[in-house]
Amino acid sequence: MDTPMGQPAVAAPQEVRVNFTTSSPDLQLPEDSSSLIVVPTDLKRYGLSRILNSSSMLNTSSPIPFDFLINGEFLRTSLQEYLETHGKNAEETLTVQYVRSLIPPVHQASF
Amino acid sequence: STHLEPELQLRDYEESMRRWANFQSKTHALSLSLTSQLRLILTPSQSTKLSGSYRTGKRLNIKRIIPYIASSYKRDKIWMRRAIPTKRSYQILLCVDDSKSMGESSSGELALESLVMVSRALTMLEVGEIGVLGFGTNVFTAHEFSEPFASHDAGAKVLQRFAFQQDYTNIRFLVRQTIERFRLARQQSTSRGSEDLWQLALILSDGLTPSSEHEDIQVLLREAMEERIMIVFIIMDDMTQKKEQSVLKLKKVKFLSNDEIKTEYYLDTFPFQYYLVVHNLEDLPGALAGLLRTWFAEVNT
Ligand SMILES: [Mg+2]
Repeated sequence: MDTPMGQPAVAAPQEVRVNFTTSSPDLQLPEDSSSLIVVPTDLKRYGLSRILNSSSMLNTSSPIPFDFLINGEFLRTSLQEYLETHGKNAEETLTVQYVRSLIPPVHQASF
Repeated sequence: STHLEPELQLRDYEESMRRWANFQSKTHALSLSLTSQLRLILTPSQSTKLSGSYRTGKRLNIKRIIPYIASSYKRDKIWMRRAIPTKRSYQILLCVDDSKSMGESSSGELALESLVMVSRALTMLEVGEIGVLGFGTNVFTAHEFSEPFASHDAGAKVLQRFAFQQDYTNIRFLVRQTIERFRLARQQSTSRGSEDLWQLALILSDGLTPSSEHEDIQVLLREAMEERIMIVFIIMDDMTQKKEQSVLKLKKVKFLSNDEIKTEYYLDTFPFQYYLVVHNLEDLPGALAGLLRTWFAEVNT
């Protein structure tokens, strides 16, 4: 709760604006889907991957695992931890570059 | 100030003075336009209500009919007329977003220009008291209701308070503070008892607030409405630098219960009923006047 007159109770920022970019021509977001999106800050690599694969984004038939780079650095933590360790906060838009994950793909049955 | 507020680093006074003068001359024509539009809306010359008891008039006063017959048609003041409107006075609070996101785009600059333009228009109208709040992590007073607002000095002192460095945008807290300050201001109001006091807050912000707070904000907005406090949200959406970053295009991730992920437009869950999206300063006078006209039409019916 807020104090009645003075300071608000400080709530941890729970969302951040992310601007998704990629340098792979085959992985571009469709024209009508926005690259600028508000996401929860507790997300890590897996959660961000799921968003990109979802029907309103890349709409992939089978999920592509992604890795993410912010300022040229691979994201290994949650977005919240990234913000904290880099002295940033949720007021700033994060430009997040996505690339196909280098982790070997899981076996997929052939059709 | 009676509020506990943190000491903020003030910007240079001389520089703020120059900026105020600069904004003022840049927005002068728009201020005049807004003044003439608002004059029609804020100071009505005709009352919409019929009342009183007269020998002739517009509509019968039903309550007078039985006494009229009982008095053998002697008490014949049975008609109502349009009453002379009660003089309205206003307390208007301009709330400017001082958070970092405002500085990241040029929305901060647009907000300050809008602040100068709107406050000048209201000052020229002389409809009542004007206050200015800043908000981000917390809320601070940049100009008290009781102080006059007609000088460059007052304006420069307001501009000194804004640096767009606050690390959080707490709009829920702003709305709560707005209600509390209006309650206090109503008690301290210098307007006569016969005058009709209206309280209006205009929030100038990029509109970005955690969506987890949207429901709480809606609850507070209902509270404000019950106390006849009107809150208008003016979304500053400057796109001159980044066209693809418009708040109109901004989406939000939604996790559905069946583990599916959807996106929806951020503004679809925006809690403010009365809001405008302003891309250019030139759009503001017409859009604001239109919105206030709609609101007054709704409360008068
Ligand atoms: Mg902000």
